[in-house]
Amino acid sequence: MKMLKMKNISLLIVVLFFVTLLPLLMDSCKPSQKVAAKSGVQLWAENCQRCHNTPSPNTFSPEQWETIGMHMQTRALLTQSEREKIVAFLKQ
Amino acid sequence: MRTQKALWLLVIVIFMNGFLMNELKAQQTVVDSSVLDRITELEKQTSYNKPGMDHFMVVGLATVGFASIKNTTTIGGVSSVSKTNSFPDADHFEFSPMLLWRHGQKFLLEFEPSFSGNSLGVNWADVSYFAAPNLIIRAGYLVLPFGTYSKRLAAGWIDKLPTDPMGIADMAPTDYGVEVEGGLPLGSMKMSYDLALSNGSQLMPDGTLGAGNITDNNNNKTLTGRVALLPFSNSSLEIGVSGMFGKVGDVSTSPTAKGNAYAFDLNYVKLFNPILLNIKSQYNIQDINSNVAQVDSLPYTSNTHATSFFAQGSIRPTGASGFIKNLELAGRYTTYNNPAGSNGLIQNAVTVGLNYWINWRTVFKVGYESYTGNINAASTSNKINSLFLQFSIQL
Ligand code: HEC
Repeated sequence: MKMLKMKNISLLIVVLFFVTLLPLLMDSCKPSQKVAAKSGVQLWAENCQRCHNTPSPNTFSPEQWETIGMHMQTRALLTQSEREKIVAFLKQ
Repeated sequence: MRTQKALWLLVIVIFMNGFLMNELKAQQTVVDSSVLDRITELEKQTSYNKPGMDHFMVVGLATVGFASIKNTTTIGGVSSVSKTNSFPDADHFEFSPMLLWRHGQKFLLEFEPSFSGNSLGVNWADVSYFAAPNLIIRAGYLVLPFGTYSKRLAAGWIDKLPTDPMGIADMAPTDYGVEVEGGLPLGSMKMSYDLALSNGSQLMPDGTLGAGNITDNNNNKTLTGRVALLPFSNSSLEIGVSGMFGKVGDVSTSPTAKGNAYAFDLNYVKLFNPILLNIKSQYNIQDINSNVAQVDSLPYTSNTHATSFFAQGSIRPTGASGFIKNLELAGRYTTYNNPAGSNGLIQNAVTVGLNYWINWRTVFKVGYESYTGNINAASTSNKINSLFLQFSIQL
């Protein structure tokens, strides 16, 4: 009985999560003006520290940053525009 | 006499001019050909160094360590103690080079072989196709998107503590399948989705799940998915929910056995100058319902309900000066309750650690862990105190 309850609660939370996300999604997937105006350096400082220390741009060559940018998009699920701006900054 | 002199002078001037012109011409041709040679040489060099579309690099990680472990087992009130002191053990030695190939802006291939626990294995091997701006399609041998620990935080140079939280990664297996994922802007928020279809886990005789079968044991595919929301525009907070649904029983013996699992995760990283605060947590629930036909052919249901949880906090004075800014203090509480297998019903651990960051991807850790567990029989308990030294570097 307890097990069933626990499962139901989990299912409920998962469903609720989707239901609350849905209207947000329908509001169309667009960044706000403030978010769209963020620079590569700001996005680098905000996003890369979420999992590990923020990497120094000097660590890799521009070619390597291009590859790592794609790799980190698969890990961090960055938006395309975030990836492009961050990589452009790291390549400098 | 005068005209004769003038004539001689003229002859000399004409002769000199001719000579000089010749000299100049000769010089010019010499200069010309060397410049041309140089240009051809440079052209050759640039075409040799033409970057092309593809790029290959080797990254990955290496972790070496030392573990001093004291294990106290109490059976019916009688305790026995065993001690080990070892350099590499399964958790604290790993050498995993990761090969990354990029074909233009569309394809990324990842292969990570790993030497750990005295054997050579493969962590993942997959092909990602960047199909559209926020859509990545992947196929191969994948870490399933269940929670965040396995996919994002397990690497030695990323993990703040020398051990993995028990029971967390075990419920997010690596499997053969396909996956779609991406990040989406949502006004001032952001979300991400990650869905995978894989062969699915297999129910083992001891009630635990095995994974990574190349032939599906029941032809039923397992769906694993995670959705996450980053509610703040600075991406400091991420909350995610995951689910994993599929049949786990062998088609011949327990075709209706199902395994459903849920995970909830939280990640919060924010600078409160001069301190960088880092909070990470994940809660996993795994239910295995196996309907096994008994001898008298009445259905008999055996259910396993397992949970695992960790909450971890760490602080690093990134705003300080000198060597203090490279120090990081971390603590974690972990519980793991699993009636199946030999793990034991109630287990918990407290882990604390002090890290020294040599640079952003190189760390030296000192950690202490106190573990208590009750092995299935209520009268048997286990207490393990461990001291770890660990060095980890991103390759
Ligand atoms: C969601 C977690 C996460 C975020 C956010 C993240 N990384 Fe990573 N990063 C990882 C993991 C995990 C690895 C280790 C390799 C692996 O597991 O594939 C890694 C590895 C790396 C490496 C080593 C080379 C490689 O490709 O493996 C670099 C460099 C790197 N990250 C840079 C970045 C940068 C730059 C950012 C910011 C845009 C970033 N990371 C954001 C998780 C993350």
